[in-house]
Amino acid sequence: MPNAQETLDQYYLEMRWRCLSLAADLDRVQRAADGPALLKSDPRIAKLRKAIAILLEDSPDRAETVQEIFSDKTPPPSRK
Amino acid sequence: MRYIDPHIHCVSRTTDDYQFMQRCGVVAVSEPAFWAGYDRSCAASFADYFRHLLEIEPKRAARYGIDHYAWLCINAKEAEDVELSREVIKLIPPLLDHPRVLGIGEIGLNKNTRNEITIFEEQVELAAKYNQLILIHTPHLEDKHKGTSIITDILKNDQRINPGRVLIDHCEEHTIRLAKNAGFWCGLTIYPVTKVTPQRGVDILEQFGTDMICVNSASDWGESGPHMLIDTAIEFRRRGHAEAEATRVFHDNPCRFFGQSGKWKIAPLANP
Repeated sequence: MPNAQETLDQYYLEMRWRCLSLAADLDRVQRAADGPALLKSDPRIAKLRKAIAILLEDSPDRAETVQEIFSDKTPPPSRK
Repeated sequence: MRYIDPHIHCVSRTTDDYQFMQRCGVVAVSEPAFWAGYDRSCAASFADYFRHLLEIEPKRAARYGIDHYAWLCINAKEAEDVELSREVIKLIPPLLDHPRVLGIGEIGLNKNTRNEITIFEEQVELAAKYNQLILIHTPHLEDKHKGTSIITDILKNDQRINPGRVLIDHCEEHTIRLAKNAGFWCGLTIYPVTKVTPQRGVDILEQFGTDMICVNSASDWGESGPHMLIDTAIEFRRRGHAEAEATRVFHDNPCRFFGQSGKWKIAPLANP
């Protein structure tokens, strides 16, 4: 199995690409009409901000935590 | 290497995809009944769709050396219409003895509504009554965790349902424990965008082990394709896992789950 150094070497360019891609996505929204206001008010952007903060933590289960941020937490529908 | 795609919607794919699968070593597929790309207007449309699944696709697949099996149901997306759903459910029992039918699926939830839950429970009832395997569709994106919880709770509370005869599909990092810890089979659906990627799919296999997990491409109406199954196997091998272990995941696990139907003809390659 590859060690941590080999794993990072294997995936680094892809990780860098994903980071740049997200940066460019946010820039595109910002440049569009009403972009700055939307970036402050849209709940989806708020979730993205929360998720991005998780990436910078040292937790071993970032993917699962990010999935939870993007999950509907409301109770199931009442039964007939 | 030989592959089985345990969840693929061949109805929505071109002949080029069959050719591609044959070149890659795919020897068999299973096709759950699902949405046809549009909402159907009457039960007769489903009767034709079931005929397509049981007669047309097996012939199409056989031209490329691929064994094609299917599952029957009304899908969660169209189950919001309870009246139509009940008409469709009536069509299913006479078809269950067909040699290409592996069970009831893919049933489940889409938007987690009360109507979807009603029809899901009625189809679980159908599967229990006729002792059929069950293939479960779990919702995508923000609805997934809630929907998977509702589905697994319903199944766990039904004493007639053996979890080893149910596959909970489209599991992701935050839902796989709900399925695996309750003894269900799990499915990982690999997409190029929006859902689990080949890299994340292999991460999940490494974290949760390869027992009772089937990997599939879904290959539906959206951005998807049979190459996602192969790309995941390549990623698995690239990380140093032996070919025998890859065969266990990408060929033998589907054989072991589907083999319980009594109709699936392909034996696992390891310890058949």
